[in-house]
Amino acid sequence: MSKITVAGVRTNVKELLDYSNNEKKRNFLETVELQIGLKNYDPQRDKRFSGTIKLPSVPRPGMSVCILGDQHDIDRAKHHGVDAMSSDDLKKLNKNKKLIKKLARKYDAFIASDTLIKQIPRLLGPGLSKAGKFPTPVSHAEDLATKITEVKSTIKFQLKKVLCLGTSVGNVGMGEDELIGNIMLAINYLVSLLKKGWQNVGSLVIKASMSPPKRLY
Amino acid sequence: MVKRKVGALEKIDADLSSLQYKARKDPSSYREDFYSQYQQYESIRGIFLRAPSSTDDSGIVKIRDLIDFISHVADCYPRETATFPDDLIQLLSQHHDQLQYELRDKVVSSLVLLRNKDVIDSSTLLNTLFPILVSTPSKTLRALLFQKILSDLRNSNQKSTNHRLNKTVQSVLQNIITSDRTSPQGIWAVKITRELWKRQVWTDAKAVEIMKEAALSENEKVITGGVSFFLGSDKEREEADESSDDDGVNVGKLRQKLNVNKKNKKNEKDLKRATMIMKKKEKRKGQPDILNFSALHLLHDPQGFAETLFQKHLQNKYSKLKLDQKLLVLQLVSRLVGLHKLTVIQLYSYFIKYLSPRQESVTSFLASLAQATHSLVPPDVLEPLVQKIANEFVSEAAATEVASAGLNAIREICARQPLAMSDTLLQDLVMYRKSKDKGVMMAAKGLLSLYREVGADMLKKRDRGKEATVKIISGERKEKRFGEVEGGGIEGLELLEAWKEEERQKRLEANGGVDDKEGDSEEEGWKDWDAESDTSESSEGWIDVHSDGEDIQVSDSDDEKPPAKKMKTIMATQEAIKENGVSTELSAKEKAQNLATTRILTPADLVKLQELRMQSGVSSLMRQKKIQQKREEKHADDPLTAADLEGLATLSAKRTKEEKIAMAKADREEKHLSKSARHKEKKISEGKSTTNKEKARAKNFFMTLGKAKGKQKRSLTDVRRTLKGHVDRQKRGGKRGNAGR
Repeated sequence: MSKITVAGVRTNVKELLDYSNNEKKRNFLETVELQIGLKNYDPQRDKRFSGTIKLPSVPRPGMSVCILGDQHDIDRAKHHGVDAMSSDDLKKLNKNKKLIKKLARKYDAFIASDTLIKQIPRLLGPGLSKAGKFPTPVSHAEDLATKITEVKSTIKFQLKKVLCLGTSVGNVGMGEDELIGNIMLAINYLVSLLKKGWQNVGSLVIKASMSPPKRLY
Repeated sequence: MVKRKVGALEKIDADLSSLQYKARKDPSSYREDFYSQYQQYESIRGIFLRAPSSTDDSGIVKIRDLIDFISHVADCYPRETATFPDDLIQLLSQHHDQLQYELRDKVVSSLVLLRNKDVIDSSTLLNTLFPILVSTPSKTLRALLFQKILSDLRNSNQKSTNHRLNKTVQSVLQNIITSDRTSPQGIWAVKITRELWKRQVWTDAKAVEIMKEAALSENEKVITGGVSFFLGSDKEREEADESSDDDGVNVGKLRQKLNVNKKNKKNEKDLKRATMIMKKKEKRKGQPDILNFSALHLLHDPQGFAETLFQKHLQNKYSKLKLDQKLLVLQLVSRLVGLHKLTVIQLYSYFIKYLSPRQESVTSFLASLAQATHSLVPPDVLEPLVQKIANEFVSEAAATEVASAGLNAIREICARQPLAMSDTLLQDLVMYRKSKDKGVMMAAKGLLSLYREVGADMLKKRDRGKEATVKIISGERKEKRFGEVEGGGIEGLELLEAWKEEERQKRLEANGGVDDKEGDSEEEGWKDWDAESDTSESSEGWIDVHSDGEDIQVSDSDDEKPPAKKMKTIMATQEAIKENGVSTELSAKEKAQNLATTRILTPADLVKLQELRMQSGVSSLMRQKKIQQKREEKHADDPLTAADLEGLATLSAKRTKEEKIAMAKADREEKHLSKSARHKEKKISEGKSTTNKEKARAKNFFMTLGKAKGKQKRSLTDVRRTLKGHVDRQKRGGKRGNAGR
């Protein structure tokens, strides 16, 4: 395929939603993923790239977030019904690698208060950053709820050892327009990251967790 | 037919080679002859094996010739020579240290020959050669084996990667290293892996794993081999790649040579070969790139690797490494930490005792420290280090090279973690920009400009500069907090949006209010962007459904709704823009977001975006940003060397007059010459003579004086005669003219 059209994306998204919502409805909320294959890319010369972007709507509302904070933030977290841990809780982990790994696996993202975040590397060691879940800072002045949605709606493109990458951009419970908006923004951002723009893009595929893949490009 | 008489000597000499030739032509009819030779070989071998060291010269020569002969024809008689390879292998592996060297080399090359004829397989060959390579005391044999092993591995990976063989060889190599960590044998595994990595035969994680084991071994040579592989292999590979690219075949030249010169077979053959190479190259160009990730990226567990390296070789009191070897290891550890953003907190306190100007090769330590810094290092770990550098290096009393190196190091550290600096210290250091020494001055200025970008409020008010001050007042600039990750956007998208709006307005005016071109313009955006895309497909692939950029609405889930100007007439748009230009300004960003979520940026859009970014009103800012970006990019993947930190310090060194002149002239072009002067120079260099005119001009002045004097002393009659002659000549029309006659 040589071009990507808005109309093409729209029909694909429609088919995808139709399949997952009507044809074969599953017992869970399927996530829609954008898969990208790169080409003409020399990882040695062009360097690896990584970037994060905030999407207009939250792709995975079910994401579990944990607040690592001082007393004030823990109270706020309780108010919002989010899990929270204090620095004493973290000290109890005693730098035990297995426990930290368990903690990192339990949550999808972490938020830490400004006062605590500088101690995170000391308290927890490399565990969190190894899992790619280093906390996002939040200050007392910021609203915790918006921060949480912000963290939830931020996606990350990161090239690892292979020339393809995938990120979740939405779910099948979303409206068509919302999903299209998310997909388009993700595509545009990715293309603007690449050195040669569209010439670096080999393929673009969207796919819900249990649906057949739909090729956009 | 008359039989040719053959001399006795000639007969013996020609015997084996002619038999070889004949046997290869017609194996079945020479089976008997071959068999008798084979019998002879067997018997000699039996004698030889009984006393390998005491066989005389003629016996050795004989067995050598026989081995050569048999291995050449072994593929024709597979049944008879079934045990031959095994015999050779046994001979070599048991007696390689006693064999006479020519015979030994012959056995090795025969084995390789058998491999090339597919009589034995690669793994058998390599399994034989490896143990000998690592155990033999003979240098020449090692060199030979090394070369043979490499070429065999390369050959078997030529057409397609031989995963099976690679895997077995790699595990053999890894075993060599891990079985005995203290022995120096591992160096061969390192050498082989490095060479194959360089030639891109091995590019996978397994090879990297071997080198990782090497770096963690206990023998100094093996350690340095492994560590320097990680530090230098990428560059090496790139260089090897480049040098193999331009092996200088010029088809056009050869073709012309064939046209002009006498035709002969050799030239034709050359041309054919050259075209073949070119074709192969073209084909290779079309193929997808080989995925060559750098070795540092392919590491399986960088965190664990960095930690063990650090503990084993640097923190360990009993490590026997010398300072330069330690520095290498330190470089690798800090590179890993910086590249993968690892957390090795003890590393930073390790540096403290090495940060003094009297420490040997302190700039390397500084560079490593800066390299090991990244945005996730807690600032309170770095602060004492920065403070110590400032105290020890940067003072009025310190030598200028020392001060500038210190300032540069601080700048590099702070570029990666701006929070490591306290404002009093920063304000103190920035004062050095008034220094009389150029190196120190430049370094301090570098620090100043860095903090204007990343933390202007730490500077004194008068140092902040215009842009930073404006941004602080308008509240646009916020200091990056620890652990914060900037959410990226598409830079300059609002500019693109504005430009599109403008274009549409223009088109509207031209078309009289009907906007039908939007789809077309998008179609145009994809034109000629990719030579590979075929046109037939593109004509149907792009449907003009999407007529207006704003007809698809995306409701933002957050409270930042775009202002209510969605379904409005064109007139309304125009008026709205005229009336409340301010509000459009404000919502430009959201609109841009809107653009990104409703349309797909075409290649043309991307080009325009780049252009707009460049020429936008805040281009100076952008430029700075670009510089910053460049720096960040550099920081991300490239190593920082001691030379980078010393770079400016070289400016402050005292130089001799000659050095100064050379430096001043370095960037100047060659001296200017007029056209005639160049012409003359060329003529002289070609050894050609000068014209009479040039000779006259160059003639010595004193030689011309006599003639000039003579002219003055002429009598009146002579003057008259010459004048008359002149007039006559004029009338005739010159010396050769015939007008008067």
